[in-house]
Amino acid sequence: MTPEAVRARLEALREAGARLRARSPHEVLALLARALDVWSDPASAWRRELEAKLPAATGFAPETVRRGLARALADWNGEALRRLAARELGDASVTRAGFETCAVVLAGSIPMPTLKALVAPLALGTPVLAKPASRDSVSVELVARSLAEIDAGLGACVSLAPLSRVDAAALDALLAAECVVVYGDDATVATLSGRSRARRFVAHGHRLSLAVLGPGAHSGTALREAAAGLAEDIALWDQLGCLSPIALYAVGADAAAADRIADALAAALADAAHRWPRGAVEPAAAALFAGERAEAELRAAAGRGAAVHADPAGAWCVVREADVRLRPAPLHRFVRVHPVEDLHALGTALAPLRRHLAGVALAGFGAGQSALARDLVTDGASLVCAPGSLQAPPLDWESEGRGVLTSLARSAAG
Amino acid sequence: MTTGRGGDPARASLDADVLRWMRESTAWRGDDARFEELALRLFAWQFEHCAPYRRFCEGRGRTPRSLKRVGEIPPVPTGAFKELALTSFPLERTVHRFRTSGTSAGSRGVLHLDTLELYEAALLPSFRRGVLPDLGDGGRARMAVLAPSARELPESSLSHMFEVVLREHGDLASAYFVERGELDVERLLRFLDDACAAAEPVALCGTAFAFVHLLDALALRGRALTLPTGTRALETGGFKGRARVRPQRELYAEIEARLGIPAARIVNQYGMTELGSQFYDSVLAEPDAPRRKLAPPWTRVLIVDPLGGEPVPAGHTGSIVVQDLANTGSVFAVQTADLGVARGDGFEVIGREPGAEERGCSIALDELLGGAA
Repeated sequence: MTPEAVRARLEALREAGARLRARSPHEVLALLARALDVWSDPASAWRRELEAKLPAATGFAPETVRRGLARALADWNGEALRRLAARELGDASVTRAGFETCAVVLAGSIPMPTLKALVAPLALGTPVLAKPASRDSVSVELVARSLAEIDAGLGACVSLAPLSRVDAAALDALLAAECVVVYGDDATVATLSGRSRARRFVAHGHRLSLAVLGPGAHSGTALREAAAGLAEDIALWDQLGCLSPIALYAVGADAAAADRIADALAAALADAAHRWPRGAVEPAAAALFAGERAEAELRAAAGRGAAVHADPAGAWCVVREADVRLRPAPLHRFVRVHPVEDLHALGTALAPLRRHLAGVALAGFGAGQSALARDLVTDGASLVCAPGSLQAPPLDWESEGRGVLTSLARSAAG
Repeated sequence: MTTGRGGDPARASLDADVLRWMRESTAWRGDDARFEELALRLFAWQFEHCAPYRRFCEGRGRTPRSLKRVGEIPPVPTGAFKELALTSFPLERTVHRFRTSGTSAGSRGVLHLDTLELYEAALLPSFRRGVLPDLGDGGRARMAVLAPSARELPESSLSHMFEVVLREHGDLASAYFVERGELDVERLLRFLDDACAAAEPVALCGTAFAFVHLLDALALRGRALTLPTGTRALETGGFKGRARVRPQRELYAEIEARLGIPAARIVNQYGMTELGSQFYDSVLAEPDAPRRKLAPPWTRVLIVDPLGGEPVPAGHTGSIVVQDLANTGSVFAVQTADLGVARGDGFEVIGREPGAEERGCSIALDELLGGAA
């Protein structure tokens, strides 16, 4: 796509956006609510089409896509959008407005951020020019078409810019939008931030999630339930989403308890692999996965206190570590179990991760759980929930802890 | 001879047999039977004398008795050298350590050696074939090393390699041009100008990163040299952990433009601290054949499915596993962190696609540890 074509699309969007803003905000919100109701409905044609096309486009197994969408979109409906708008935009003492145009640079292969990235600016009357992720051009195209089917005016406010990330001139034309939203790794975000002259630049860098189990979830039914929930959190989107835990911290666990937790998690991941098979793994990722597994096996063989539970075919791996040392996270269903002595030690272990933290699955702390959850939010977590709920964040969840809509809005008092 | 091997006759016999092969004038002749006989003996030795490796192999159901073919010998990932002293000899017999360069991933890997004899014997025929195939017996070449000397960095396997190469094949004018981490550009340019004046071809050898510094310096001065015919470049090391990265194709084009060395005379070396042997591009050894990396006959390079460990079909990408008879004191089979493709009788090392986008938004290796370091 040439820079001129990008500029032409932005210009056309400006005009479409003006027409959209001429309509009442309630009408626009109602249209978007209807779109979310469609996407939330597993029987809708759009949802079925996405479920059919996404596996081939992204490498995820069909079962994983189906379950992942079912968990994530169950409550992302029109009513949730109305509540979100009422909470973030409902203060009559503050006037909020969108921008003339919003450029969205999408990344990755998980579809929910795409849906939200298109709907949120539109809720403010801002038209969107979206650069599809190179690894998923399906989701954005289907969402755009679904919006056009619901309302032609809404559809005219979404356009796609399928350009290469290395096409600097076209990228600069895209980044000339008044509002720019970028998804991607921190290096990409920093690069695009440096090049953008947007009045508003909203970054969604990479994040990670964790699980923390207290003594109440170190054994018995509580452990089995926590392990089953975490296995689903890990298995969905093959642990590539920022809400999939990459490590489990077992607070107050001795070696035997850590072994028990690792055993339970391994059994749950084996079960999850039957229900939601892991998808394709690219050679570089597979090499990292295999290398970390073999390295842990060697540490175990050398008596360094590690223990490895792994699927013979490499579909998942649980490493019970002896300490909290940070080690590579190969993703693709690879999780480490770290015993930590107490909450103070947990705080020390998590300190280097604060800046990257997204979600924490929490269980087994009894009456102290609420206080710990508050502490984790203070430490940077934007979602603290029970095991098994990480892959179903509410519509108003935002990885950076900002408002979903207010981060895209200009505001003025009065 | 620097050795701490002690008096184990089985090990001495293994070393002697491997050394004999490396030192034969026909060293580059492949010999599968010879390789496999030595590989099985070496695996059995290491299985017996390196306890963590033995338990690792047993965990995978691979023992000297159960092994059906040499390709089944379990490889150790290079990352393991960061935390474990993987030796087949008592650690107190260590006479030398090579450490990997620092990376954003934190700790450095260590190769403990109880002798340097195999390392040095392995590197010379490979270097000569890959970089100086036209050097007559007893001949010496003018070499400029764009890397620190072994005196400055004694634990760098690359610096040690250059020291041995200069000692054996360098002429009196050959020299190092990196000191205390800085490329001495002025001295290097005088060296290159002198070579031009004398029409003396040069072997310009160093890290890719040092070449970038040289090219930047030439660009800053608005200079472009045309080094004498017969000049060649050897670059190695990539850009791991460096802020500035230049794709190989761009680097070679710039070397050609600023130094007058055509891409067909630029050799990339693939090597790592954890291996006793190195692998060179074929461009000088076999100038009429496609560029690929050639493996010395006392090594085997396997391109395998990372998860299953089985060889991938020809032309497919897989993990590079190196089986290296020069590694008698550590482990014979090493799983590198690199991907490769088999190319005829050689192989090609491939990195990640430049600008490749992650599939997900969760943090993986370098970003996490880099940020936490």
